[in-house]
Amino acid sequence: MTPQLDEYVEAEIQRLLAETGSVAEQGITIARREHLIVLGGEVESAQRRDEICRQINQHFPDVEIACDIGIVRAQAPTEVEEIS
Amino acid sequence: MIRIAAVGDVHVDKDVVGRYRPALEQLPGVADALLIAGDLTRHGTVEEARCMAGEFGGLGVPVVVVLGNHDHQSDQQDAVTDVLRDAGLVVLEGEGTVLELNGHTLGIAGAKGFGGGFAGACASKFGEREMKNFVGTTEAIAERLGAALRGLDCDALVALTHYAPVPETLTGEPLEIYPFLGSYLLGQAIDSAPTALALHGHAHHGSERGRTPGGVPVRNVAHPVIKQAYNVYQLLTDEVDAGLVSI
Repeated sequence: MTPQLDEYVEAEIQRLLAETGSVAEQGITIARREHLIVLGGEVESAQRRDEICRQINQHFPDVEIACDIGIVRAQAPTEVEEIS
Repeated sequence: MIRIAAVGDVHVDKDVVGRYRPALEQLPGVADALLIAGDLTRHGTVEEARCMAGEFGGLGVPVVVVLGNHDHQSDQQDAVTDVLRDAGLVVLEGEGTVLELNGHTLGIAGAKGFGGGFAGACASKFGEREMKNFVGTTEAIAERLGAALRGLDCDALVALTHYAPVPETLTGEPLEIYPFLGSYLLGQAIDSAPTALALHGHAHHGSERGRTPGGVPVRNVAHPVIKQAYNVYQLLTDEVDAGLVSI
C-alpha cells in the first residue's frame, strides 16, 4: 500500500539527506506527487546521486522515487565577464 | 587588467578528484588567480581536505579560499585549514591578502560569514542566549570582514565569503531559508570599503548577479549556479582580452 506522502515525510527526508554522513546534501529539492516524490537539484558525482536514492529507499521502503538529480558540469568557461 | 576565476561549493571528496582538474589546468592562460567561496569539502575532514588540496593545488596561479559550513561539519576546521595552507592555498577568515598580478595589486578580504537574514526579515540579538549567540556570531564575523577590507591597500579590492551579503543572489531559494543563507551585515561590511566585487557561494538554487545597497557588484559563484568549473571576472580593464569573449 502506498504510504501517505505528507509534510512530515518530506521534512524527515530533507533532514535525512543533510544529516546522513554518506549524503550531506542540503540542496536537494523534494516535490510530493500523488504516489511518489520527485527529487531535484544537482550534486558533484553520480555516486552521490545514487547514494541519495539508496538512503531514501532504505529508510522509506514504501516511498516511490523519481530522481531528476543532475551532476554539475565541470568544464572550463569560454567567456569572461567584465565587472564595472 | 586583472582576471579572477571563481567558484564555490565544490564539495571535494574522493569521488570528485579529477573532475575539475582538466579545466583547472587551463587557468594560467585564462585567469590570474582563483578564488573559492567555501564548502571546499563534504564534511570538513582532513582526508577530504587532502583531496581538495590535490585537486586545487599546484595550479600555477594563486588560490585564495574561505571555508564554508560543510568545512565545519567535523569540527576539524583548523586541521583542514592547515592541510590547505601546506598545499600552498591562502585560507582567509576575517583577514586579507594582497596579490601582485600583471603590475596591479589585488586585495582580497575573506570570511566564511554566517546567517541572520536581510532588511525586513532579519534576526535580532534578543531573547534566548542561543538567539543572541546566532546574531552575535554574524556580527563578529562581519566586523572582522569590514576591518580586513578597509585595511587593504591595493588597486582592486574583492570580498570573498561563503554566506551571501545580499538577498538578490538568493533568488530561486525558498524565502523561508534566507536567514540561513546570509546576512545584511556582510553587505554592510562590504559597503564600508571601496570594494570592487563581492563573491559568495552557499545558495545552490540562487541567482548569479546582485548588488549591495552601496552598489558593489555581487556574484554567487556556487558551482550549481554557474554550472561550470569556474567563472572568470575581469577587473581594472585596460586592454582587450584576446583569448576570451566579453559578455
